[in-house]
Amino acid sequence: MAEPILRVSGLTVRYGMISALKGIGFYAYDNEIVGIVGPNGAGKTTLLESIAGSIDAKEGHINFLNKRIDRLPILKRRKLGIMLVPQEGNVFPMMSVKKNLEVSAILNSDREKKKLISYVYELFPILLERRKQIANTLSGGEQKMLAIGIGLASNAKIMLIDEPSIGLAPKLVTKLFETLKKIREDTNKTIVLSEQNIKVLNIADRLFGLEAGEIRFCEKTENISKEVVKDLYLGG
Amino acid sequence: MILNGVITGLIMGGILSLPVLGVAVIYGITGIPNFAIGVIGVFGGFLTWYFLSYNLGMAILIGIGSCFAIGYILQPILLTPISERGGDSTLFFIITVSLGFIFEGLTRAIFPRPSISLALPRMGRLSIAGVTAEGFKFFALLFALGTLVIIRMLEEHTEAGKSWLATSQNLKLAKLIGINTNHVFSIASGMGCALGCVGAIFWGSLYNLNLMSGWDLGFLGFIIAVVGGIGNIWGGMISALIIGMVMSFSGYLLGGMWQSVILYAIVILVLIIAPRGILGSERSL
Repeated sequence: MAEPILRVSGLTVRYGMISALKGIGFYAYDNEIVGIVGPNGAGKTTLLESIAGSIDAKEGHINFLNKRIDRLPILKRRKLGIMLVPQEGNVFPMMSVKKNLEVSAILNSDREKKKLISYVYELFPILLERRKQIANTLSGGEQKMLAIGIGLASNAKIMLIDEPSIGLAPKLVTKLFETLKKIREDTNKTIVLSEQNIKVLNIADRLFGLEAGEIRFCEKTENISKEVVKDLYLGG
Repeated sequence: MILNGVITGLIMGGILSLPVLGVAVIYGITGIPNFAIGVIGVFGGFLTWYFLSYNLGMAILIGIGSCFAIGYILQPILLTPISERGGDSTLFFIITVSLGFIFEGLTRAIFPRPSISLALPRMGRLSIAGVTAEGFKFFALLFALGTLVIIRMLEEHTEAGKSWLATSQNLKLAKLIGINTNHVFSIASGMGCALGCVGAIFWGSLYNLNLMSGWDLGFLGFIIAVVGGIGNIWGGMISALIIGMVMSFSGYLLGGMWQSVILYAIVILVLIIAPRGILGSERSL
């Protein structure tokens, strides 16, 4: 297989005295869906935020498309093609759905903008219906769709999505994961998700198991049994 | 007399609404309470006065442009770094008040006179519903309302405006989607100081400008912004018009010496009833 487009090595992040990540390695290939699984507090969010640049890693390397990015500000990383959809605070609460998407496509030309937004509406027809509605009046599920839509509208090469399934009804989780699969097929993006939901096994090509700031396993999904993932959560 | 009071109040409120808008724009976007914009604005007013004998338009441009530049530069070299290190409202109060004293001192040091009056064209006299006032006064009020409408239109319809809104609503996400938030902050800070200057120019041509006027405009502007719901520009405008009216009527009915007693008693009363201001605020101090 070719070189990974994203490679993290020796990444260490500390919050005061506590190490959230203890020199971990992580990588993702082009057009791949990678899942990061692990219990609460394992460091999943910290890893994603360090890649996007909203957290400064103290030690380690992050390379994206053969360029070292760990010292670059968020904006430069965004321009190189990295976009993080945070777990919370992932929409602009007082703007309409349409404006949320328009402003998120800010780095694209007008023509691309239109294409990107109509693609978002195609994936999530409910957003088209609600395009004039203010974001914080949407339901939880709709807000999640908008958050993914914001990620798509940014037109980044790699989308990092933090806990997309959290707070969603089981039926919606299945649907959301199907949509992510379709996004990968349509756009050739790389998608990295952190997940607590076991259904992630159905869409990810590879899984990283993260616990207490360390990588416990890195396997192709077909080689992983549900038990291994469950053990990770139970600390077994 | 009542109508006269209303019009005086509206005009006063309209002029006050300019620094209020300045405070609201800066606070709404950067989250920083800036108490210096009145003094910086008055510094610009003095600059305008200094160049007035050369050319009216050029003088006004120099005044407003300098204030924009001061705000634009102060943001990245001073205010943003402090904000990123977790500066709170108290720290910003002290820092921006200190900045205010610096600009008051500069005004004192640079300009030969401590009190000035700007002789701008009066635009004839206008009579509306039986009340006659200088056309210039109506122009001041219209200008203030127009500024508010223009800011709202920019926010609604331009790319830059949308990125201001996005930055004010969710700073982290704004950065993540690729908005240059530092640039947005600088523009907001520059606009706030420029609005302070426009307020000072109107104030200086209707009343007069002295070294203390900046504090009057800045603090009153801030208080009015809080009463309206800080960061909320419609709230700021409504609150400015109401406060202008209160000042005008308390002056008429009780005499000038009671003006501030009545005014600040009402401010306290409103904030006890509605701590987040008349129209409410997205952020709190």
